[in-house]
Amino acid sequence: MSAGANTRVCVGAVAGAFGVRGEVRLKSFTAEPEALAAYGPVETEDGARSFDVTLTRPVKGGFAARLSGVASREAADSLRGTRLYVDRARLPEPEDDEFYHADLIGLAVHDTGGALLGHVKAVLNHGAGDLLELRRPEGPGTVLLPFTKATVPTVDLKAGRVVADPPEGLFD
Amino acid sequence: MGRSVWKGPFVDSYVLKKAEKSRESGRNEVIKIWSRRSTILPQFVGLTFGVYNGHKHIPVNVSEDMIGQKFGEYSPTRTYYGHAADKKAKRK
Repeated sequence: MSAGANTRVCVGAVAGAFGVRGEVRLKSFTAEPEALAAYGPVETEDGARSFDVTLTRPVKGGFAARLSGVASREAADSLRGTRLYVDRARLPEPEDDEFYHADLIGLAVHDTGGALLGHVKAVLNHGAGDLLELRRPEGPGTVLLPFTKATVPTVDLKAGRVVADPPEGLFD
Repeated sequence: MGRSVWKGPFVDSYVLKKAEKSRESGRNEVIKIWSRRSTILPQFVGLTFGVYNGHKHIPVNVSEDMIGQKFGEYSPTRTYYGHAADKKAKRK
């Protein structure tokens, strides 16, 4: 799966109804939780329904929000568990040397000699810098690669390719 | 209550030896360690340690603001993936 194949990103989910006036409880998956409403209308996973989101107030576990077209508690409760998506194109352009996790996940990682090292499974950060978790082609295990200019000199999103120069001992 | 100052920071001796050896060689390598309890010292800045989390070695690039912390703080024993959403990674 290349970055281009991921045209939508999941930014939140409906946790259930909130109150009796048609509000919903939203869980936000964005880096800044309030940004959930900033990316314009959100869609359901199948794209069949679209909602304008208005966050009303923070509540335990997320936000109380109004979704356009949802006016009753029953309608709000029927959306429980629905994941909300926005087009990747609506996210602002990242700065130099910044990459959306959604763009990196799925990219093929090659070493400087052209050999395939794996595919990006996830991007992690445990406090000491970002790490790319690679799914190895030959087995179920994963390897963590520091996401630095020295270790990952090239990220070509258009070609769906990352070139890595891993330090010795990383793949042992 | 913190550790008494007169004792100095605790570091497993093998970590010091491995770090010194790696610095002398000047090679770009991951120094595999199992000592999560060792304190990060100023001489470790710039080196990459693979800190064991009970399952595998997590790469930790040591920077100045990590001095005084323990290695284990940067190698969690449980992984939570979460959603990518609009989260960004910075290549340093």
